[in-house]
Amino acid sequence: MSAITCTELCKTFQQGDEIITGLNKVSLEITKGEFLCLSGPSGSGKTTLLNALGGLDTPDSGEIQVGEYRLDKLSKGELADMRLHNIGFVFQAYNLVPVLSARENVEFVMQVQGVSAAQRRQRSDAVLAEVGLAGMETRLPAELSGGQQQRVAVARAIVSKPELVLADEPTANLDSKSAAQLMDLFVELNVERGITFVIATHDSRVMGYARRLIHMQDGVVVSDEQQEPHAMDV
Amino acid sequence: MNVTWLLAWRNLWRHSRRTWLTVAAMVFCNVLLVFLISLQLGSYTMMIDNTLGTFSGHIQVQHVGYLDQQKMRQTVPAAAELAQTLREQQGVSAASARGIAFALASSEERSFGIQIVGVEPAYEPEVSTFPGLVKQGRFLAPDAGVDSDEIVIGSILADNLKVGLGDELTFLGSGRDGSFAAAVATVVGVIDTGFDEVDRSIAEVPLAWFQQVFTMGNQGHSVVLRVDDFDAVPQQVAVIQQQVADRAELVVLDWDALQPGLRQAITSDMASAWFMYGVLIILVAFSVLNTQLMSVLERTREFGVMLSLGMGPGKLARLVGLETLMMSTIGLAFGVLLGGLLVWYLSFAGFYFPGMEEMGKRFNLPERMYPEFSLLAILWGPTTVFLFALLAALYPALRLFRLQPVPAMRAA
Amino acid sequence: MGGAMSTVMVLAWRNLWRNYRRTLIMLAAITVGIWAMIFMAAMMRGMTDQIVENTLNTLPGEVQLHHPEYRRDPSVVNRMPAPSAALREALAAPPAVAWAARVRVPAVVASERDSRGVILLGIDPQKEAALGSLPEEVIEGRFLADIDDRGVVLGASLARRLETGLGKRVVLMSQDPDNNVADRGARVVGIYKARLQGTEDVFVYSGLAVTQAMLGIGSDVSEIAATADDYRLMGDWYQPIAAAAGPGFEVLPWPQLDSFLDSMLRVQDGFSLVFMVVIFLALSFGLVNTLVMAVFERIREIGLMQALGMRPGLILAQVLVESIYLLCLGLLLGNVSAWLTIKPLESGIDISAVAQGVEKMAMGTTLYPALVVQDMVMSTVVVLGLGLLASLLPAWRAASLDPIRALSRH
Repeated sequence: MSAITCTELCKTFQQGDEIITGLNKVSLEITKGEFLCLSGPSGSGKTTLLNALGGLDTPDSGEIQVGEYRLDKLSKGELADMRLHNIGFVFQAYNLVPVLSARENVEFVMQVQGVSAAQRRQRSDAVLAEVGLAGMETRLPAELSGGQQQRVAVARAIVSKPELVLADEPTANLDSKSAAQLMDLFVELNVERGITFVIATHDSRVMGYARRLIHMQDGVVVSDEQQEPHAMDV
Repeated sequence: MNVTWLLAWRNLWRHSRRTWLTVAAMVFCNVLLVFLISLQLGSYTMMIDNTLGTFSGHIQVQHVGYLDQQKMRQTVPAAAELAQTLREQQGVSAASARGIAFALASSEERSFGIQIVGVEPAYEPEVSTFPGLVKQGRFLAPDAGVDSDEIVIGSILADNLKVGLGDELTFLGSGRDGSFAAAVATVVGVIDTGFDEVDRSIAEVPLAWFQQVFTMGNQGHSVVLRVDDFDAVPQQVAVIQQQVADRAELVVLDWDALQPGLRQAITSDMASAWFMYGVLIILVAFSVLNTQLMSVLERTREFGVMLSLGMGPGKLARLVGLETLMMSTIGLAFGVLLGGLLVWYLSFAGFYFPGMEEMGKRFNLPERMYPEFSLLAILWGPTTVFLFALLAALYPALRLFRLQPVPAMRAA
Repeated sequence: MGGAMSTVMVLAWRNLWRNYRRTLIMLAAITVGIWAMIFMAAMMRGMTDQIVENTLNTLPGEVQLHHPEYRRDPSVVNRMPAPSAALREALAAPPAVAWAARVRVPAVVASERDSRGVILLGIDPQKEAALGSLPEEVIEGRFLADIDDRGVVLGASLARRLETGLGKRVVLMSQDPDNNVADRGARVVGIYKARLQGTEDVFVYSGLAVTQAMLGIGSDVSEIAATADDYRLMGDWYQPIAAAAGPGFEVLPWPQLDSFLDSMLRVQDGFSLVFMVVIFLALSFGLVNTLVMAVFERIREIGLMQALGMRPGLILAQVLVESIYLLCLGLLLGNVSAWLTIKPLESGIDISAVAQGVEKMAMGTTLYPALVVQDMVMSTVVVLGLGLLASLLPAWRAASLDPIRALSRH
């Protein structure tokens, strides 16, 4: 069963007088449990594709099926609900709400979902411990290192047990050690929980972890190959 | 353009929405102030005109103490002659002598205690609006003398006494020497001023007849004057005081002494108006303070760079000051322009709000208000807002002196 | 949705204090604004209360009965019989607390020196005392003892003008129903001081029975007045009295007795509202500015929340709640400071510096500001209602942000 299917996705942007092609007839199938990296230079369309997969952005044409949802057919509000319940996000920076503590950032999604307080507390503490942040639950983002902040973001992404986690340049602001730890965490979650990971990156250290590597350029998939994953050297 | 000026101008428009909102607050406040102050000054002018124009005049010459005690014996000798002399004086537009007595007025059916005013029929219309408000019949004949038993009375008084034109009224009272005074007069006119209090009490007779009935001789109780230029009242008072200096029993009173309530009514009205203006100005100052503080705080890093490049904190403070100056100038310009246009228009068209009619009647205000179009009224408010805006920028500007280049550059 | 809303409330509260300087400045502005609204309203209310009460005190009793012609023509001719038993019963029924019947006619009072036109009040001292219509202070001599007291009580100012004094004789002159001069000599037994000089000049007190005898009107009276001790309490309590009085009487509650007072009260309420709205408008620019900046600074965060699945409605709510917190804090501080500044002043502010000016408006030399819940509620409604309206714009802008663009902002 495929987790994600996209067919002939097209998306263009207007920037000044120029029309930029974000996606040009991209078709893709991603099966459940994959660990996939989207690579390519900036402007290649990888972030646009990731946003389209996450329902943050709607393509101009083409179809996207994520699980049971046809994203191109959903309204803004329905897309928001879909993201809330089915997809975990990890962004490059500004990943956390600055006025909320680590625990509250994790609880935040559940709270919006309407999970009871006791359950929220239990689940957030468990997931924070799982990403190695036990004892730091009450710290504000400003009191955490970049790596720790990203791990809070991961905890938040997986706390509602999504089948798909989308990450956009998650290691961009991290040193090598923190980046390696974060990627190890991703792999672990992928293996143990069977969560599908799609990571957009141009960090070659990250690409090594992927079992499937898709290379994009000018909005087109130029290569799509399976590879033997290898952890980075720290 | 100077680079600093250019920089300040550009900085101002980095957050154009914020700048416009702050400017809008200033413009709103300025227009309101221009309007209210003009309205206020306009209403004071009208209040003074209306209050003094009806009866009391700008200046009166009276016997010392008469103002407080209004005793029959406190008279001005040769009142009509004095009025004649003063009338010819430069700067005096009108003068008329009066005598005042209290008497029981009786018609066939009714009796009322009233105040009778003896006036010079030829000159009274120049110092009082009442003669012009005769709605039935006519005012006293200009040449009415000792033998003329004419009287004009207020409309409510006429109703109360149940008399009309041609009916006779009998007076009982006491003369200046304490003797019994009695006379009969014929109603020739009914005055309707619209002010119940006046219409209920006013009764005017020729001065000569009055003097005879109340054994006054050639004396009166006051000489009422109007001057050409209202602002010149104090000088006129001094001049007339000089003229009557040899008659120690006489005193020259200006409108403030005659109608002490007037200035105080204006003062108390001003007090509440200033309160409102003060609040508005403070609120605008807060708005500017907020905007400028934000604009300084969010530029901490930038200012750090400038400091490390060797620009002194004084220069940065001046930059912030300059930005505020520009912003406030825009607020001032638009405020004066819009407020001025509004007031200019209303100074012709007038302005009305419901309920004003009755208030106006009570406080002697007209039913329609015409704001006064004057430079002072238009510039005062906006200039004060302008100054307070500059003052409000002081704190944000002074903060810059505490800035250290390196931590500032690291600031988020 | 309960969970989501509590998240929104926590977020809004913490966001409020992120830029505490801005919040404090805005809070100060709102507090000053609200304080000013309530303070001004209390002052104005104090002023109008006083005008109303003074005016009612010079013709005391919120409900008055007259001969139908009397108000137009206050002559002895337009008199009415003393109240019947049924009417007396109606006048004594709650909420009325007191009533009095009096003779009230124009007259002339003459001393050996001078004479003045006055209003002669023939009263029952006991009943008028209950009604609260007696002069505030008798500075010389005594007040009338009963309805048969043959003395008169004059105002201090009138006594000065007449050059008369305690113990001296004056002559009261008026007319009887047949328009014959009705007069009597009387000794000045008391001199009173009133809040307004105008009152002192006009009202002369004399015993009811003595006055009736002088005018030759038997037990007839000019006016019957009743009070419920609170002029705001008008309702319809005059109607049973009107019913008991029967035809031939004019029974009016004070708003009709003095339509000016009534319209002034309404104008005052209207003016308070206008003042509040104007102050609010001056505030609103700052409020909108603050929220616009708050949203602007948090564009990325808002984008993140949207990306994580927070619906635009919740984003909107978040900004609105932040605005509500700010407004409520301001309202609280403003109301408290208004309370603290006005309460001590309620015992009276000396405004004798402008006394004669305000006397024109029938006020005394002391202003008693009146803090009324209605004004506090009105300011709260204006500020919260219009405040939310003004916040809608920045809130709606925040909610309609495009998450992708918001996230890519630096």
